[in-house]
Amino acid sequence: MDFLIDSFLSAMLLIGSLDPGLLEIIGVSLKVSCTSTLIASVIGVPGGFIIAFSEFPMKRLLITILNTLLALPTVVVGLFVYAFISRRGIFGVFDLLYTPKAMIIGQVILIIPIVATFTISAVSRIDDRYRKTALTVGANLFQTAWMLVREARFGIAAAIIAAFGRVIAEVGISMMLGGNVRGFTRTMTTAMALEYDKGQFVLSVALGIALLGVSFAVNLFFNYFQGKVRV
Amino acid sequence: MLYELRNLKKIYDGRTVLDLEQLSLDRGKITSLLGPNGAGKTTLLEIMAFLSGPSSGEVWFEQEKVNFTTGKLMHLRRKVVLVEQQSILFTTRVWKNVAFPLRIRGASKAKRERIVEELLDLVGMGAFGHARAHKLSGGETQRVAIARALACFPEVVLLDEPTANVDVENQIAIERIMQEINQKKGISVIFTTHNMIQASRLADETVFLYEGKVARSIYENIFSGHIETERNGCKQCILQYGLKLGVDSPKSGPVRISIDPSAVKISQSRANASAENTFKGKLIQLTDEQSRVRALVDVGIPLSVLIPKEVFGDLGLEMGAEVWLTCPVESIEVF
Repeated sequence: MDFLIDSFLSAMLLIGSLDPGLLEIIGVSLKVSCTSTLIASVIGVPGGFIIAFSEFPMKRLLITILNTLLALPTVVVGLFVYAFISRRGIFGVFDLLYTPKAMIIGQVILIIPIVATFTISAVSRIDDRYRKTALTVGANLFQTAWMLVREARFGIAAAIIAAFGRVIAEVGISMMLGGNVRGFTRTMTTAMALEYDKGQFVLSVALGIALLGVSFAVNLFFNYFQGKVRV
Repeated sequence: MLYELRNLKKIYDGRTVLDLEQLSLDRGKITSLLGPNGAGKTTLLEIMAFLSGPSSGEVWFEQEKVNFTTGKLMHLRRKVVLVEQQSILFTTRVWKNVAFPLRIRGASKAKRERIVEELLDLVGMGAFGHARAHKLSGGETQRVAIARALACFPEVVLLDEPTANVDVENQIAIERIMQEINQKKGISVIFTTHNMIQASRLADETVFLYEGKVARSIYENIFSGHIETERNGCKQCILQYGLKLGVDSPKSGPVRISIDPSAVKISQSRANASAENTFKGKLIQLTDEQSRVRALVDVGIPLSVLIPKEVFGDLGLEMGAEVWLTCPVESIEVF
């Protein structure tokens, strides 16, 4: 128990001293996770919206597949993307393996189903009278869609928060596609795994606390944002 | 002519909810669509608002045939606006709700501010501009929804049971707004209601709808009953309440009947009343309706009677008085 408390106190000191190595790891984590969340949101939110409001054959099947993909293991995504971007893969010429771009590609694939399914769920629950009202006051299709997204904003924000939470905490994709290269692709989770392997429990705990702190800060930001628009 | 509907049908899940052979509505008037629940009033309004297409038939608006299949209906929707029975406001401030139609039409901020203020004053909601829209009461919501509809500068305002869910104060306010926008702004107002008195009070014209069709007779005094043929060959309709009415119809078995309130004769003594279909009742309500007086008489069932004012003056009827009603066979429609 003393060992755990000592590690925790040392970790707090490390964070408090703004250790450059620690800040570098946090920086890479945030950059990769924010970028992948942004890209997945740009694809997943409109995608989910279109799926929710369009009628096409096998719509239910597509939603079932997206729901299934929520349980996609990160190592499966890692393996899948690796097969495409490794030297022998069809995108091997782009030399993406062990770069932040590769991690972003994997993470985007991982969280698009999360953003899309949560968006489908959020916009499907929107009262149809909003759509009718927008149309009858003369809104075009884009304006109507924007208005519906606005009404579903809390659900969509939850989708984005959940997606961010998934990528900031994942380790499989970052390790397999990023390679845990110090100062380049080392994220909080891959660094924690490495430090644990090395027996550096203090740094591992410090990174764990930092990870929770970052998640907390992001949620605070979204809560503040939701409060601002809740009028 | 504002609207012309020809052979219009709307079918939901194999059930015909609207079946109109021909219906024409004039410009610049207040028109009421009167009918009970399930008469197809809301469906008709949605078609007239170009929000939903008919299953078959033609809709003509301002001499232009509406093509629902192309999806290019925005230019028409910008002339007609629908206020739903339970209007919904966007989850933002009242002011932004009313400004929404102006913003999507590219109106400048100064113009938006001026018009929104004007419209909120018109509906008596001037003090609520910065209120949260979803915190308003039902009546207030309805008034803001009307202001938002007027911000579209429509030629036609369609209102679906505009006073169905509001208190008396808001009902008076909404009826005043409907008359004001028609008289001062020249906007054609078409509203649905199941309130005969409201329809006759507000509307220049009334269309009676029943089971998706334009009813030939007046939608009033509608009862369920059972037709039986007597030994002498005469037919009698026995209402659910035990009242027996002589009818002239080839039908038998379970039916619905309507009794034209303007054809029912009222008198204070049996001697003045003819023998057939004559019932004793108690006068329970009197309502002034322009050139007529509506009397509600309890004869076991509440029966509405329309009396010309000059006749009413001679009758000297008083509330609670015992009266005799005669329903001529011609006043009873069986369907």
